[in-house]
Amino acid sequence: MTPTPNSTTEDPIRPHTFDGIQEYDKRLPNWWLMTLYVSIVFWVGYWSYYEWFRVGLSGPQRVEQALAQIEAMKLASAPALDDASLWKMSRNPVFVEAGKATVNANCVACHLASLRGKGENPTAIGPDLTDTKWIHGGNPMDLYRTVTQGVLVKGMPTWGPVLGPKKIAEAVAYVLSKHTEGEPIEVDPSAAPPPPAK
Amino acid sequence: MSDRKITIEFNDKIVRQFLLASVIWGAIGMLVGVLIAAQLNFWQLNFATPWLTWSRLRPLHTNAVIFALVGNMMFAGIYYSTQRLVKARLASDFLSQLHFWGWQAIIVSAVCTLPFGLTRGKEYAELIWPINIAVVVIWVVFAVNFFWTLGKRREPSLYVAIWFYISTIITIAMLYIVNHLSIPTSWSHSYPVFGGVQDALVQWWYGHNAVAFFLTTPILGIMYYFVPKAAERPVYSYRLSVVHFWSLVFLYIWAGPHHLLNTALPGWLQTLGMTFSLMLWAPSWGGMLNGLLTLRGAWHKLRTDPVLKFFAAGVTFYGMATFEGPLLAIKSVNALGHYTDWVIGHVHAGTLGWNGFMAAGMTYWLLPRLWNKPLYSTSLANLHFWIGGVGILLYVAAMWTSGITQGLMLNATTENGTILAYPNFLETLNTIRPLMLMRLIGGGLYLTGWLMLAYNFWQTVRGAAPVNGTIEVFDDEPAHEEAAAMGLFGSFINPPVLFSIFGTGFAFVWMFGADLLSIAGLVGLMVCGVLAYAHFESRGKKWGDWYDRLLGNSLPFTILTFLAVVAGGLIQIIPTVVAHNAASTEDRKQTPYTPLELQGRDIYVRDGCYLCHSQMIRTLVPDVLRYGDYSRLGESIYDHPYQWGSKRNGPDLARVGGKYPNVWHLRHMEDPRSISVGSNMPTFPWLLANTLDNSTLVKKISVQRMLGVPYPNWTPEQITTRVEAQAKTIAADLKTAGAYIAPDKEIIALIAYLQQLGHAVVVPITKTASNP
Repeated sequence: MTPTPNSTTEDPIRPHTFDGIQEYDKRLPNWWLMTLYVSIVFWVGYWSYYEWFRVGLSGPQRVEQALAQIEAMKLASAPALDDASLWKMSRNPVFVEAGKATVNANCVACHLASLRGKGENPTAIGPDLTDTKWIHGGNPMDLYRTVTQGVLVKGMPTWGPVLGPKKIAEAVAYVLSKHTEGEPIEVDPSAAPPPPAK
Repeated sequence: MSDRKITIEFNDKIVRQFLLASVIWGAIGMLVGVLIAAQLNFWQLNFATPWLTWSRLRPLHTNAVIFALVGNMMFAGIYYSTQRLVKARLASDFLSQLHFWGWQAIIVSAVCTLPFGLTRGKEYAELIWPINIAVVVIWVVFAVNFFWTLGKRREPSLYVAIWFYISTIITIAMLYIVNHLSIPTSWSHSYPVFGGVQDALVQWWYGHNAVAFFLTTPILGIMYYFVPKAAERPVYSYRLSVVHFWSLVFLYIWAGPHHLLNTALPGWLQTLGMTFSLMLWAPSWGGMLNGLLTLRGAWHKLRTDPVLKFFAAGVTFYGMATFEGPLLAIKSVNALGHYTDWVIGHVHAGTLGWNGFMAAGMTYWLLPRLWNKPLYSTSLANLHFWIGGVGILLYVAAMWTSGITQGLMLNATTENGTILAYPNFLETLNTIRPLMLMRLIGGGLYLTGWLMLAYNFWQTVRGAAPVNGTIEVFDDEPAHEEAAAMGLFGSFINPPVLFSIFGTGFAFVWMFGADLLSIAGLVGLMVCGVLAYAHFESRGKKWGDWYDRLLGNSLPFTILTFLAVVAGGLIQIIPTVVAHNAASTEDRKQTPYTPLELQGRDIYVRDGCYLCHSQMIRTLVPDVLRYGDYSRLGESIYDHPYQWGSKRNGPDLARVGGKYPNVWHLRHMEDPRSISVGSNMPTFPWLLANTLDNSTLVKKISVQRMLGVPYPNWTPEQITTRVEAQAKTIAADLKTAGAYIAPDKEIIALIAYLQQLGHAVVVPITKTASNP
């Protein structure tokens, strides 16, 4: 038998036509079938791993575990900060410049770029950070705690989990660079005391 | 059989009407798309006008391109091809006209409601309830007209295109009705009957399968008619048609939960959503293969014929989008891509590439045949192809880059993974701005191409006489012998159907049974698979004969299709509706909104806030670091509709309550850039000027109670007192911050709503099985 160039001899065409449309009846491509079969086997395996034998962790379990690790790492590497070291940082241009970048990215919406807040513009949301009147304590570590834990009732967000201790220390150093150590400070007695350290 | 022949004239008028409507609405829908793309880069283009604001126009864009462009195009293609494939004129001219004008009236009413804030707050299901009823009525008109025509057919067997049309009609009816179940509070407002996680699941069962059965299956049917016609080549493989049709309609329905990966959706549903999406890859590519390989032997025609160019590119984009879909449905990929522009790029590869190009190819093929006049300009059509193609590539490439860039930045951490590298959301937004501009250019080019189509259309049909197709048939040619040939027994009690039913049943027992039952299910599933394979290998001809006979019986065929599409929905939705009520939702329980907060929430929905802001902190470390503790099921259980969102053009709001002072929100709504420098959020000044409309509040609360939200039996006076008291507190607080706003303004209600987000009650864990 001589092969004919007409491919229809090897490709059977279905006898029936629809509005002139013919149909070959070719075999399904093997790679296509394999794709289907492999995805079905994957389904059986994946379901068994996560839902049947529960070897794989669920989403909440996984994120809780990762968060616990992050907390442990933070506790282990928390910088040893005190008032003196923060004052020292506030006189170091490297820290102050880094802190200024953090403040400009996150704090100026309420406290304004000058950090003068309501002192510059009464409709601003945040208080003046350059004067000597403090609401939640004026010592460097009070500032550090206020930024880290926030004062939700007054609208100060909790920055600790977002910025981390290093960036917060730098931001505090930048604020302190507008002040001098030992200047007389006034603390608002009616306001809540700074939240206790964790 | 007598020899007397009669000539049947097809109803091609209805095809011309739908085709014209599709081109016009397509241009409008795309124009709105280009405008909202521009607004994302240039906030000034919102013009501080409610009905021109991004979040009001975005639903108009999606509804216009889905239901007006693709809807009208689909009806044109279905009506043209069905009449010829079954050798019968459409059953009723009246129903055809009712279908056409009813559908156009629905579209016009959408244009008249969505920009004015009349919305249900669920994506692609925004239309208000009176329009929903109209859609269902017109869809039934379409179905009756279609099945009646099948009943009058002179062609005994059903061609593959008709299978896809049948699956479209019954599945869309089912999805649309279930997802639009709601209880009205007024003529223009209603609350969906499902809330929280249930609403999320039903919404994406609908949303995902609207893509499947509105944007995919009817267009596949159109492909199976118009591609072999235009290429003048046989369809590549009939048996591939059979296998990919049934696997596609069965598997598609299960994949909806992949829109909710890593959220508070129960894990087993996420697993189903991901694995079934992967299984969908091959069936989708079956359609692409049959489309592209039909062009074998006709590739040389692509050089000159714009129709085949559009079809070849359209089918290729279909293949690309259906590969990308399963990829994005993998949980770890989804953690990066979800909520970003990547998903926008993905859907536009599908809509611009697949739907838009198939629509263009079909239009260019139909124009000369419907008006009996050559196309005005083939070179203009070719230019349309190249401009449109470049437009899509720019669009899609921009969105991939943008989505992956923003996703990587949002997920990036520093200092040993303990804090975010880019804590400020705006930094990530402003990084992708050049890419958003590139998207605007791509979309603009695509619109330009479409306008060329419109011009070509107009020039072709201007002054041309419409012509209707005809066919000669024998006078008494038997229409067909419906079902009598097979009967109930022959239709359903036979190897292929029984193997499918037992296989699905065993799989169900394996997945949801306990211990031994589960093992028995898996063994049964495997035995069933092996037996089916062996039986097919030895008696394959019997299967083929049975299927050939089934194709002559449209009712059993339709019933089997319905059984295939209904399975996935039943197994996913019923356990969720039954199990996940307020009594069994992890360790958090939502507090019902105060009346003022409920009002604020309705404003949040009205102004489309959910289109840019999610309320779902995923179980992913970067999400938790950025937005707080991950969201629990119980925290949104009373939300009708749910507001988890699907895109983050701005940050998540699930725990924004109490994060900022009231005055922050006031200033931010009035002028977002006064607080968030570089933000692209529109301004919402009318919130400060409009007085809150409390006229339907009593009715709203009574509907909420009907839906199961535990409100006390307040009198109308008690409700008013509560609203006023809470509003006064907020206004007083704003006053101390230096902002003077009357307590009866809308902004006060919205602030009340925003400030309680994330304030759920922690309840002792009453562990219920997460498996149904």
